[in-house]
Amino acid sequence: MKKFLLLVCFSGFISSELILEITQGTEDPFRVAIIKFNGDNKATSEIDQIIKNNLMRSGEFKIFDNDDLLSLPKDEDEIVFNDFRILNIDYLIIGNLINESSNIKAEYKVYDIRKGSKVRSSTVFGIPNKNRQLAHYISDGIYEEITGIKGIASTKILYVTQNKDYRLVVADADGKNEQILLESSEPIISPSWSPDSKKVAYVSFETGIAKVFIQDIASGNREVVIENSSQISSPAWSPDGKFLSLTMYQDGNAEIYILNLKNKNLTRLTNHYAIDTESTWSKKGSKIMFTSGRSGSPQLYEINLRKSNARPKRITFEGNYNAKGAYLPNNEGIVFVHRANTSFQIALKYFDENFIRPLTESQMDESPSISPNGNVIVYSIKEEGTGLLSGVTLSGAKFKLPAAEGSVREPAWSGFLR
Amino acid sequence: MFFLRNKLHFVVVLIFLSSCSSMNVTEENVGSDEVKTVKASSARSENINYDTMAVFANATVYFEFDKSSLTSKSIQTLKSAVNALNENSSINITLSGHADERGTREYNLALGQRRAEAVSDYFVLNGISKNRITVKSFGEEKPVAFGQDETSYSKNRRVEIN
Repeated sequence: MKKFLLLVCFSGFISSELILEITQGTEDPFRVAIIKFNGDNKATSEIDQIIKNNLMRSGEFKIFDNDDLLSLPKDEDEIVFNDFRILNIDYLIIGNLINESSNIKAEYKVYDIRKGSKVRSSTVFGIPNKNRQLAHYISDGIYEEITGIKGIASTKILYVTQNKDYRLVVADADGKNEQILLESSEPIISPSWSPDSKKVAYVSFETGIAKVFIQDIASGNREVVIENSSQISSPAWSPDGKFLSLTMYQDGNAEIYILNLKNKNLTRLTNHYAIDTESTWSKKGSKIMFTSGRSGSPQLYEINLRKSNARPKRITFEGNYNAKGAYLPNNEGIVFVHRANTSFQIALKYFDENFIRPLTESQMDESPSISPNGNVIVYSIKEEGTGLLSGVTLSGAKFKLPAAEGSVREPAWSGFLR
Repeated sequence: MFFLRNKLHFVVVLIFLSSCSSMNVTEENVGSDEVKTVKASSARSENINYDTMAVFANATVYFEFDKSSLTSKSIQTLKSAVNALNENSSINITLSGHADERGTREYNLALGQRRAEAVSDYFVLNGISKNRITVKSFGEEKPVAFGQDETSYSKNRRVEIN
């Protein structure tokens, strides 16, 4: 395991796994007291740590735990609100972990300290030996209650690792609980979720050339999407799950097509002698953004699917390398790979602004993928030639996910699963 | 089953409105996240053509960053390849395009393809039948040099002829 770097402004507790390296975060974070839940000490310690990590990673919270507080109420009757007001705490969380035979459940309550009242009372029924998942659900409940925004602790991240072999892996949003979807001796690239998060599409070179596969996560059933002898790559699902956009090379050059998954009809979207690839759909499915070399360097373009014969419209103009774009869930802008001098960074551009905002500053930042609530971007970085995953919140907080075995890259964030 | 949340998982949100505050009451089930691991069959045919290997051992041409145009040095290499192909009319060749690690993987896959196509175009212009040529790309996935410097990068921006 990697060593952690202790942060300054969120030094409420120490995590042995999550690496929070820069923590601008929001200037005015929610100040939240989390009392360790009542119940079996080992289980509640684990759950306590996971919940705090999840909330900290959002960059929007300052957490106070047992060591920071003046009193440690076990239940509602014991709460002295002034003990929390004196520390300028906004919210208090208390809870119980109840383990009856093989059933496990957590009950927790959220109190608004200023008002001196309970604002949430929740019960989560868990699965035996899945305390991490239980903790993620509790984290999301707390996050939603306080911020009013859906939480992402219970979502998943898909990525590729390369050690001796290549692996397609799915893990919790904190990088833990890794599960292998595919193992191969040949490269795997471009993993992508179906909109319902039950299937994945990816490019595998197992047959000797790039081919797009769709795999059902639970059953492991998979198929090649188009059976022919030519190279196919860069799959992206339409938001309704009915279409897959692809890059096809049958004419020798990379062109984007749309595949109807039901009747397998193909519609050609681009026609240019330059490279066209890395297609992605807007959240309503009305536009496709892609990378094209038609201006002489890679730039991002959009095609409006609602207009017939619509021409691609160029949308990036700064610098000579802008590629692999992703739409923000609210459609207010895009995130993409931007080359600044010699380094590749993740950049953000809002549609109503005429400049780009760099979000990262290392040398080889790639593959941005946005959380379904739009608040966090996960991307790959390189350190001494090895790939790692990093995250940055739109508020500026940064973190690294714990290193999996081998070189890690191409993260793809699932939809909401809870 | 993975994410069988629609059936198992239900959220009941009841909003209690009291005189001055409201409280959310929720109840939910954790969804299962079981996964089935698949092993890709390693039945990849290597397709090694030993006749070709003998003729084109070390026949590799190199490119500039984000470019697929042939350099004068590449053309020298390709001229001798054309002669060899003309003298051995029975052999077919595979052109594998590659890119260095800078830039995005899919763009590099397309770039490797363009490089291989550029070599293919040269052969066809010089009288080699298109039927004898297979073109494919590995993008940045199969580097031969592993440093993060121009020396390594320049070795990886290549088309291998075999």
